[in-house]
Amino acid sequence: MTEETKLGKIEISPTAIAHLASQAVLQCYGVVGMAARTLHNGLAVLLHPRESYRRGVEVRLVDDQIIIDLYVIIEYGTRVSEVAHNIVQSVKYNVEKALGVPVTQVNVHVQGLRVSKE
Amino acid sequence: MAEKPELRCDGQDLKRMLATATAWLEKHAVAINALNVFPVPDGDTGTNMLLTMQAALEEIGNTPQGSLGSVAQAAAYGALMGARGNSGVILSQLLRGIANSLDKKRSFGPFEFARAMTEASTMAYKGIIRPVEGTMLTVSKDAAKAAMAAAQEEEDLLTVLEKTVEAAKESVARTPTLLDVLREAGVVDAGGQGLFIILDGVLHCLKGESIEMKEPTEMVPAELPEEAEMEWGYCTEFILQGKGLNLAEVREKIASFGDSALAVGDERVIKVHVHTFDPGQVLSYASSLGVLSNIKIDNMQEQHREFLVLGEEAAKAAAEEMEGIATVAVAWGDGLTRVFESLGVKSVVPGGQTMNPSTQELLEAVETLPAKEVIILPNNENIFLAAEQAQKLSSKKVVVVPTTTIPQGIGALLAFDKEADLKTNAKNIEKAIAAVQTVEVTTAVRPAKINGIKIKKGQIIALLNGHLAASGEEIEEVVRETLDKLGADQYEIIALYHGEDTSLQAAESLGDEIRRWYPEQEVECIDGGQPYYHYIISVE
Repeated sequence: MTEETKLGKIEISPTAIAHLASQAVLQCYGVVGMAARTLHNGLAVLLHPRESYRRGVEVRLVDDQIIIDLYVIIEYGTRVSEVAHNIVQSVKYNVEKALGVPVTQVNVHVQGLRVSKE
Repeated sequence: MAEKPELRCDGQDLKRMLATATAWLEKHAVAINALNVFPVPDGDTGTNMLLTMQAALEEIGNTPQGSLGSVAQAAAYGALMGARGNSGVILSQLLRGIANSLDKKRSFGPFEFARAMTEASTMAYKGIIRPVEGTMLTVSKDAAKAAMAAAQEEEDLLTVLEKTVEAAKESVARTPTLLDVLREAGVVDAGGQGLFIILDGVLHCLKGESIEMKEPTEMVPAELPEEAEMEWGYCTEFILQGKGLNLAEVREKIASFGDSALAVGDERVIKVHVHTFDPGQVLSYASSLGVLSNIKIDNMQEQHREFLVLGEEAAKAAAEEMEGIATVAVAWGDGLTRVFESLGVKSVVPGGQTMNPSTQELLEAVETLPAKEVIILPNNENIFLAAEQAQKLSSKKVVVVPTTTIPQGIGALLAFDKEADLKTNAKNIEKAIAAVQTVEVTTAVRPAKINGIKIKKGQIIALLNGHLAASGEEIEEVVRETLDKLGADQYEIIALYHGEDTSLQAAESLGDEIRRWYPEQEVECIDGGQPYYHYIISVE
């Protein structure tokens, strides 16, 4: 993502956008983790929060449009569709607020559910 | 005499409580919506919570069993399915915790209630990895704590509930001290407020009060931390000199006085910087350790206000600009760009011979200017078309003045009068540019024969107002021939803009030559930095 100004160029790397997005995701209620986007044997790996933004978030720039893919683990017993919807809203809002650039797509991939002991 | 029978509630009581709570929430939903600031400012927390509660009630209505456990389960299930928004999902988790706790129970008293509240809060906290305090979760935790404490003092259910509601209210008021976004907005957390209203509704039901005619209560006022009054404080800086100073200790102490604390140095000299509300306290602490010097205390509140005032003035200036006429010029080369800018051109679009700016570029330049009326100076015949296109496409009032050369563009700007209207300006400018003679000196890229003049490739040629006027081997002779042809002795000023491939020395020696040829005229040398043309000469 680059922007030309009179004095020079502003460049925002996909990694930075991914970091922003992951911060927003982790503040969403119902999200208990992010998952590695590459699924071996159909197993989602719950990532440590610190490495979340590297592996659970994918940012693509297609024709200068930002597309964000999120791979998340959601708490069992919550309304998954609503949590996913909240994630989309929150990520879009937070990334746009920080960058001032519209986010074209936010795709949420629910990779698994976590069952807490009751 | 037997003890007063303990007040216990069954499934039907819970049903009524939730119904009353929902009705109470409905009365406050709009006010709660108005509090919304985080994280998506679409202002619908009240509505979301209400829809979630209504879904819970509906499910209770669809459940034939009326036992406490099944009513609670139905509420949890309904809320789960109907959860809307972040706050709705949290609410559904709270109800799920309550349902788990009340499962298989016939009725609840103070202890069961407190346990259910605790379980609800615990359940809600599980749903997020990084709970942010100062939200609905915090309120649920504080309410549960108060309920448990009251139950352990063997209070009856009504008292326990009263204390729970009171604690929830206090917790809501505290949310701005915990969460920056709330403090900045000066509001309490909307979800927390909603939860308080729900608990308050339950209390009304237990007391047997009807809420139908009741006016909604005021929103809990935000308990703002004191900085809000003067959030900038004093920027305090000084140098502390002493013997055997403990840097770590000083740093810690300074940090306790305020924000943005900084202490750097060694055991003899420490530089201190801190934003504090009480600089005196900092100074007297530091002076007890050693000698102070270079003390500087600034009132940041004042600075902030000045900054705001400056901002207003800048905005006013921008608004005035909006009224006037702005100019867009096409030019190529650092020097020419500077010349145009110094003459008040608001936007110089790069372009010229062999590099024509697109309509889009011109249009963007026109549209981004803070002015309603714009004059475009194309400064090249090849750019007229693009400029006229931009004029048609623009939403602003645009006039294209047909300047064909750089000197004409400059002449146009000298005639431009900021105070006059667009029409008058266009007329004056056209008159002015007609009086400007332009000589362009370049090197022929191919042999040709034009206007009876034969050119060999690599020869120096001069164009007078766009038409070939002279050719030769030396720049000086070509310039002289052209100036003679146009009768430069009839004009006043000869300005020489030398190109990027021409040195300042060469330009000045040519300038001196011209001064000798035309001693009556004023000769100026200016660095134009344009490509292709060794010189652009304006005669007027």
